[in-house]
Amino acid sequence: MKNSTSRRLVLLAMLAIAMVVVPAVTSLPAGIAGVKDSGCNCHGTETDSSVTASITGLPETYNASETYAVIVSFSGGPSTDGNMNLGGFNLWASDGTFSTVDDSTQLWGPAEASHTESGNDQRSWTVDWTAPESGTNVNFILHVNSVNGNEGNGGSSGDMWNRADVTVLGFGDAPLPDVDPFKVLATLVVISGVMLSIVVLYIFYRKNPDSFDWENFSPWISEWLTSTDHKKIGTLYFVQGLFFLGVGGIMALMIRMQLAVPGNDFISQDYYNQFFTLHGTTMIFLAAMPLINGFANWMVPLQIGAPDLAFPRLNAMSFWLQPVAALLIFTGVFSGQGADTGWTGYAPYVVTETTHSGVSMWAAGQLMLVASSTLTGINFLTTMAVMRAPGMGWFQMPLFTWSILVANLMLFLSIPAFGVGLIQVYLDRTIGTAFYDVASGGDPLLWSHLFWYFGHPEVYVVIVPAFGVISEVIATSARRSIFGYKSMVYAMAGIGLVSFIVYGHHMFTSGMSPTLRFITMLTTMLVAVPTGIKIFNWLKTMHGGSLVYRTHTLWTLGFLVTFTLGGISGMFFPSMGMDVHLHETYFVVAHFHYVLVGGTVFGFFAAIYYWYPKMTGRMLDERLGVLHFLTAFISYNALFWPMHRLGVVGMIRRTHTYYITTDDFNALPEWAADWNMLISMSAFLFFASNLIMVYNMIKSLVRGDKAPADPWGGWSFEWMTASPPPTPSFDPHNLPELKDANEHVANEPGIFGQMFRRLMVSDDAAEEESH
Amino acid sequence: MSGVTPLFDAIWDDYMFWSILVGAFSFGWLYHHTYYYRAKEGESPNIDNLEVGVFPKEYDNFKLEVTWTVLPFILIVWLTYISWAPLDAVWSQTGPDGYHGSVCEDGQSSNNFIDASGYVRSECYHEIGIEGQQWFWEFDCYGLSEELCATDYATVEGELKPHLILKSGETYLAEMTSIDVTHAVKNPDFGMMEDVVPGQTAYLWMPAVEDTSFLMLCAEYCGDNHAYMIAQITVE
Repeated sequence: MKNSTSRRLVLLAMLAIAMVVVPAVTSLPAGIAGVKDSGCNCHGTETDSSVTASITGLPETYNASETYAVIVSFSGGPSTDGNMNLGGFNLWASDGTFSTVDDSTQLWGPAEASHTESGNDQRSWTVDWTAPESGTNVNFILHVNSVNGNEGNGGSSGDMWNRADVTVLGFGDAPLPDVDPFKVLATLVVISGVMLSIVVLYIFYRKNPDSFDWENFSPWISEWLTSTDHKKIGTLYFVQGLFFLGVGGIMALMIRMQLAVPGNDFISQDYYNQFFTLHGTTMIFLAAMPLINGFANWMVPLQIGAPDLAFPRLNAMSFWLQPVAALLIFTGVFSGQGADTGWTGYAPYVVTETTHSGVSMWAAGQLMLVASSTLTGINFLTTMAVMRAPGMGWFQMPLFTWSILVANLMLFLSIPAFGVGLIQVYLDRTIGTAFYDVASGGDPLLWSHLFWYFGHPEVYVVIVPAFGVISEVIATSARRSIFGYKSMVYAMAGIGLVSFIVYGHHMFTSGMSPTLRFITMLTTMLVAVPTGIKIFNWLKTMHGGSLVYRTHTLWTLGFLVTFTLGGISGMFFPSMGMDVHLHETYFVVAHFHYVLVGGTVFGFFAAIYYWYPKMTGRMLDERLGVLHFLTAFISYNALFWPMHRLGVVGMIRRTHTYYITTDDFNALPEWAADWNMLISMSAFLFFASNLIMVYNMIKSLVRGDKAPADPWGGWSFEWMTASPPPTPSFDPHNLPELKDANEHVANEPGIFGQMFRRLMVSDDAAEEESH
Repeated sequence: MSGVTPLFDAIWDDYMFWSILVGAFSFGWLYHHTYYYRAKEGESPNIDNLEVGVFPKEYDNFKLEVTWTVLPFILIVWLTYISWAPLDAVWSQTGPDGYHGSVCEDGQSSNNFIDASGYVRSECYHEIGIEGQQWFWEFDCYGLSEELCATDYATVEGELKPHLILKSGETYLAEMTSIDVTHAVKNPDFGMMEDVVPGQTAYLWMPAVEDTSFLMLCAEYCGDNHAYMIAQITVE
């Protein structure tokens, strides 16, 4: 027994040694370990510049399989006529094959040649080299040895050597056939279609393995594809959102791989630019918005006690515009011509010839998203205005519903500007109008105005629903009413109002009147007031409560930490003296990832853990949930926190590489490279940690515990229905009625409420009766 | 990095002070409550008697809510106030009311220095030109003497890039144009950036106070080679 153990150990040791030795033996550019460093395996100990090695006879660019006569020679050194020996050489090529032409040379391998003993008395040798077929560049390394011929009685003393490197260019990529973008696109569509079908079939099979046939499948699938049920459409939105969160994440990983070390060439600039453009567009429009709409679709009708949305068919149309838009946006990428303008698509670059042709598709796809968002806005606003359950006034709507109301109002007022801008870009690019063509009198700043008039409210559109989720979760988890319900609503409305007068801070450095600069500085800072109210209200909600730690509670507390940090860093930008330092640097990147990932994504992770039991009727695994939170929270902070520092020292956004300080110039400090590596590694960990949640969802769907109707003890109507809720969600002839725990009639609106009522459709008759 | 000018340093320190104060207050509160008000093992008391289908009883305190509306408001007014002053310096006008006087006469020197409040002041300034195009910068000394302003090429990571040599102690006003798309000049060591929109002329102060050598970057995405649209500026 003991013997066999030691035998194994010896065997292992030998293997280890072999593994160390083998690569050294075959890494022939350097010769056998050490030989390359000291020249060929001949004489002399050090390199000497008096010896000059040269290779002639090689072409600049070779032709495949052609044979060239290569002449290697040297001059200088101790080699003088009349010596016993003159010198030797060793020639190595990275590709192709050598053959000898006379007996002065010999081969050490197909791609390594040297002199023979009879070739000792020469300073010049000829070998034939046959070029490879591959077309790649070929490197030649030549070592020459200039000897004094005292080999017999002094060894190699006094001998000198030197080295020469030559690269012969291959014919490169030329033989690769041009790819037809449409074939690539078609292939990808077919592959995705097949994979999607397999997934759908598997889900259908798992549902009921006994009825796996066409008679049962056909109605099931057409139900999903044509459903107008708000819950089914919500699920479709949700799946789309998660899918594109993954796609956008993969793009982010590509970006981080490229930036892991300075001067990297993992991906070309061409692809880098497409990836960061589509990372932005995908994450905002195809991941965050659908995730929000998924939960809004599910929860708004349930929370206000409505059987469905006001316009179910419009709702279905809003959704089905999304995948088509996504296909349009990605069309360019499939053909290597994706949009490369940044998600902001600044004019006039966006309409110039130097952009990829995919930009037109990208604009068209976003136009469809504009249409989709507008329809969704109409739908939700109408639903909330007219379909609240009896007894529910405006100021008794759950806060998540309120947040969707505010978000859709903002979107409704801002997205037309974006639509107009996109139409102008599209027309400029396709039929040659000149909205943004400077030479024809177009105004590039018009795009900045239109874009940011939409863009700034848009980021609040994405964050406000997360506020709604957090308000729900923190109150339920602390087993308390939310603190300051009305001030929460006013704060959200305040954010909505302020969002329209702050966009100027995106254009601080674009040339702006000094007065406007000051006004924008103040209004931008104003955002902190309503946001502060919300944060302090959430904190106060916990006061005197009894915080039940569930996964969604953890995500909510995580949200409070990261969002507060993101809010604080946001205060640095309106301050002009600092903004000119920080504009377009990684400080900005850190800030908006702290509010959009730490805010929106964390908020919706909380929503997933909070409402998943309601949506599927299965409980999620708490232990996996806690694991997900811990790994994601830590890697998230390691990912985005160092970016603040990088921004302060001047690392700018959207660049394919970055420069480190050298003796000649100042750029980023040396540690910036290490921090970028840390960020890149954390990015992979963060991405991987989120797969835990996906696994958790799939696992719990198949074999999770059955969920009760109200697992967390919430008060709003969604917890009244079964898990999962029936269709229609509430019986239209027997709607639930909201009671009020407060003694006074909270239905009576305040001053703002009355104004709001006049603006909106008046409450329905059922509510009048309840008074 | 000398890019962090005294002006930036001063506001930065103020902001860090307030950030840490606000952060310490919020996080102290958060950590205290999450620990102190946690549910005991297995317990889930219903403190406000939440009940499905019943709007919960109100929990608010008008005075508190007004407090944390008014206090942050006062704070942001203060922060706006302290950020206001540098505006004039960053975008200083030319002429006797500005920080850098008028254009220098032949042979006159700017003699610039940083005053006690961190503003760069000069007696006069020199005009130079910067033109951006995809994807390189072009400097124009506008006939200034070789000593004040010179251009050549420098090797940055193996590539030849435009090189502008300025004289320390002199203040320059860059007149910037673009011939194709929007670029932005970012001079980390002068602590300034400004967009260069085609069809418009933008101006940017370049106060060369100390000897330094740094990379001038393009900070507005402008296409394929955006990352490599750099130039070296040496102040000596």
